[in-house]
Amino acid sequence: MQLLRVGYAHPLEDLRDEMDRLWNSLTTAPPLHGWTQQATKETFPAINLFETEEAVFVEAELPGIESETLEITAVGDELTLKGRRQEPAVLPASASADDASKLTWHRRERGAGEFSRRLSLPALIDAEGVEARLTAGVLTISCPKAASCRPRKVMVTTG
Amino acid sequence: MIASPQTTAPAAGSPPVSPEAGLTYRPNVDIADCGDSLVLIADIPGSSAEAIDVRFEDGVLSIDAAVLPRPAAGTTVRREYGIGGYRRSFQLGDGFDGGQIEAGYQHGVLTVRIPRLAAVQPRTIPVKAS
Repeated sequence: MQLLRVGYAHPLEDLRDEMDRLWNSLTTAPPLHGWTQQATKETFPAINLFETEEAVFVEAELPGIESETLEITAVGDELTLKGRRQEPAVLPASASADDASKLTWHRRERGAGEFSRRLSLPALIDAEGVEARLTAGVLTISCPKAASCRPRKVMVTTG
Repeated sequence: MIASPQTTAPAAGSPPVSPEAGLTYRPNVDIADCGDSLVLIADIPGSSAEAIDVRFEDGVLSIDAAVLPRPAAGTTVRREYGIGGYRRSFQLGDGFDGGQIEAGYQHGVLTVRIPRLAAVQPRTIPVKAS
């Protein structure tokens, strides 16, 4: 006789879970690049992380953010990205209050405001050597690894 | 016609990360109505003015953008987004002046200003007392 173990997943339960996952993935489809209504300030910006023997590279997409408003802090194996995205300026500087009152928004998908994200890196880094560059809304940070985290070739002595 | 992405010199010792073939994303946009014009703002990070094609045809505004290859190195530890082009179109209808559309690209953001034809701009008509 076949006994059901505790926690046994019935095939129909699996199917239901799978359908739930599919449904959730459709209804909360991630617009990939970004700052969405669902994204909280803790998950913005989305990042890609690369690693070599010598360094860790972080890349983030930050469209509409100027380098002056961006603050990057590196400590140990942690990196913090802080910044603020301004509300879009659609009216010319010379616009009057009357013009501003006529302004209506048909879509607001981009979001604005402050964000802060703390990242754990895969190695300790040399905070002094961290360099960041912001080009066309793409931020690239290169973090050289601390000497203690770099691979070291050990010489074997005979005798 | 979309300009082909410029090839940028990769950092020493690192191969460029090319945009993934065939991957196209839908950019997030804000659209404002200023009365005499519509202003569309789209997040298109990693592109350039030459690689973005903005078109207005039969009342449809379409945006098609290619991204430039990005220098990167090493093995991927975490990947939260993909890299590809951007495409999106909007049905605006008649009443816009296709010849006067202006577009600019700065800090990874595309801004397109689409003026309304003078004939369809809202006008306040004063009522005279007889």
